[in-house]
Amino acid sequence: MENHPFYQAQGSEIELFERAWRNRLPLLIKGPTGCGKTRFVAHMAAKLNLPLYTVACHDDLTAADLVGRHLILDGQTVWSDGPLTRAVREGGICYLDEVVEARKDTTVVLHPLADDRRILPIDRTGEQLVAPASFMLVVSYNPGYQNFLKGMKPSTRQRFISLAFDFPPAKQEEAILVGETGIDEMTAKRLVSIANAFRALRDHDLEEVASTRLLVYAATLIKDGCDPTLACRSALVETLTDDPETAVALREVIDATFGR
Amino acid sequence: MEEYVGELWHKLVTRAADKEHEDAVVRLDEISKTAAIFFRALGGDAGLNLSASPATRHGARRRWMQRLATTGDRVELSWRDGETLRLPEHIGLFSERSLNRDLYLWLVALSAADVDENLPWIIRNQAATQLTLERFAGLVPRYNRLLEATLALRPLPEKLPTAEAAQENSIRQALQNPGSVDVLPYSKTPFHPVALWSHPAPPINANANVTTNNGAPETVSPDKPDAAKSRRKHAAERTDMPDGKDGFLMMFRAESLFSWTEYIKVNRPQDEEDDLESAAQAAEDMDNMTVARDSETSAAKLRFDLDLPPAGEDDAPLGEGVSLPEWDYKKQLLQPDYCRLQEVVAQQTEACELPAQLRRTAKRLRSQFQALAPARTWLKGQQEGEDIDLDAWVRQEADLLSGTHPDNRGVYRAQVNQQRDLACLLLADLSLSTDAYASDNARVIDVIRDSLFLFSEALSATGDRFAMYGFSSLKRSNVRFNHLKTFDERYDTNVRGRIQAIKPGYYTRMGAAIRHASTLLAAQPQRQRLLLLLTDGKPNDLDRYEGRYGIEDTRMALHEARQLGLRPFCVTIDIEANEYLPHLFGAGGFAVIRKPEDLPKELPLLYAQMTR
Repeated sequence: MENHPFYQAQGSEIELFERAWRNRLPLLIKGPTGCGKTRFVAHMAAKLNLPLYTVACHDDLTAADLVGRHLILDGQTVWSDGPLTRAVREGGICYLDEVVEARKDTTVVLHPLADDRRILPIDRTGEQLVAPASFMLVVSYNPGYQNFLKGMKPSTRQRFISLAFDFPPAKQEEAILVGETGIDEMTAKRLVSIANAFRALRDHDLEEVASTRLLVYAATLIKDGCDPTLACRSALVETLTDDPETAVALREVIDATFGR
Repeated sequence: MEEYVGELWHKLVTRAADKEHEDAVVRLDEISKTAAIFFRALGGDAGLNLSASPATRHGARRRWMQRLATTGDRVELSWRDGETLRLPEHIGLFSERSLNRDLYLWLVALSAADVDENLPWIIRNQAATQLTLERFAGLVPRYNRLLEATLALRPLPEKLPTAEAAQENSIRQALQNPGSVDVLPYSKTPFHPVALWSHPAPPINANANVTTNNGAPETVSPDKPDAAKSRRKHAAERTDMPDGKDGFLMMFRAESLFSWTEYIKVNRPQDEEDDLESAAQAAEDMDNMTVARDSETSAAKLRFDLDLPPAGEDDAPLGEGVSLPEWDYKKQLLQPDYCRLQEVVAQQTEACELPAQLRRTAKRLRSQFQALAPARTWLKGQQEGEDIDLDAWVRQEADLLSGTHPDNRGVYRAQVNQQRDLACLLLADLSLSTDAYASDNARVIDVIRDSLFLFSEALSATGDRFAMYGFSSLKRSNVRFNHLKTFDERYDTNVRGRIQAIKPGYYTRMGAAIRHASTLLAAQPQRQRLLLLLTDGKPNDLDRYEGRYGIEDTRMALHEARQLGLRPFCVTIDIEANEYLPHLFGAGGFAVIRKPEDLPKELPLLYAQMTR
């Protein structure tokens, strides 16, 4: 148990993940940057004692990057499994992070795996893998990006059960900061109140708001002995905005919390 | 001579009497953006405007020197109403600049606190103070510093008559221990204004007799306040429109008949209007500008008197016209078929070439934009091509070796032109305000015209599909949508002729124009669709389409556009745009061009950045 990555449950997501895994259902997690999607999956993999294969998706990700490819070694071609194939063979969790970043046609290879067939045909080698019971497919994305070029194909989306994440309520977020970095509760409370003040600016003055991850960074700096105001400025303000006037206002919020 | 001496005397006394610390003054302009974001971060309503409050007469005792100089009887305080957060235009109360700045931020923080507006003034302010200090404990040291400085400036209770002293004492106690005073003792003389609190009786009372009209509050501030003049909004006080039958009105007001502060009928006789400057000066000096409410705002009326262009006599209607909905933020309701939009096209335009003064810039832009045009990319797995596709070759070899049937794809790479999959609709604001001068020798409309020319030049170099329309409106039944170039038209001399013919129209009903433009753009098959709005000010129209109503409708129209998968972006030359555009377009969704004359050059570059 000790080696599990720290994860503070927000609701019934742990139970839901376990049910999905037991019933061999693929899972889609959506939520803003840094709210704990990746950490949750890592935690669950450790909890269920399954190997975890994470793929950070990007524009140029091809189906071969997921499934595998032939390599030339010593004049011979050797088949090398991609992370998806490896997860299927070993019966682990394959986690595709930011799946919308991958091109839509790439994610089509997931289709036969994500419905009740649970198979992975590898046309290059002529193999057809049947996923063992313990295999699970998890994908995640951030719906906040206003990226109209990208989005999941509805036909891909329809194969998953979905879990929406958001930043945790203040009390839980404080607990996360304490659990993650060991700072005192008062400081945690203040950091969370700053973050919630910044979150009120979403879509208005800030494109992205303070994530739990950034708060953890700030808390880590403070725990290390850094002045709280300085820690917040570098972990939160300067990370979130390039606009000098917005930065001044954000600093005022920090001063309003930590005093000056 | 007498006059001269009088003036000297006035200057001397005023200087001695004015308690403001000139070198420590902080102006709202310097701090407005910070204050606005601070307000929203602390939980304030994101839809509120920030504006300077007019000074109001406080009626409290003044020092003899101030009385002599007839200054110091007015104070600027902050308050908040349905659509505006009002802050003093400048604060110079304290000798230290940092304290004055802190006072601004304190007032902002106080206004963001969520307390029941209906509580008595003294309780409400204490509650807000308590709440703010509790939520943002870091403000405590600042509050204490401000408190100390404020108390030092307040009259000493010992030196005041009994009733006033009791009142002063309670105020002091309420400031020092917020929450400890339940009631303000009565005194005939009003108390000394409390700089740390909001206005005791904001001149506009949202619930008064405003409800008798359509329900939309309106401010008197003109849409484009004489730009450099001041950000100050005069609080409007509603009085009933006198019908001349009410003889008592005179009786009650007899003592101040000649005061500017009292009722002015806004449609003044013509001979007075010549003297606009002194009228403006008088307006500045007023506490309340009293405006009669007879279906139109004063702002609208004033504008109504301006010279309107002939009703677009050479514009021919195109098609039937479209009914469009409009969003009422008060009712939270989309009112169906509320606006009537008519597409029009200028008649009798002459086909023309690009104006000579733009040719050089256009040439440069064209060559720059050709770089953006269809980029060459490599296609893999081709039957023939310039290069070997190693991946394909390895795959084929592997297939052969592993005994599977090799697929018949080629092992070459080929270079091809790839389409830019992009459509852009440019919507230009052609309201009357574009008739203003943007620089010494060009009106805003001229700048917009040049921008349209250069934009078209640049875009036709990239090969992107684009359309251009202009819009203006005259109330909801007459939204004009000027046809300049459709998606299917070529950019040719006829289009140039239409651009050449644009002229200032009426008002700016942005929501309807955006909705129609969205429909046109959404019909395009391209994957990226950009809705580019070119404007010089806020949405407004003659009816209640002003202030927050207009902003919220525009915001809703933009929201609808995003839902259609379009990307709205706004380019503006309104220097005050930072106050409302973030609310409409989001932080990264607009650009403010500080120098209007740069717009023609900047616009294509912005486009290039956005679509790269």
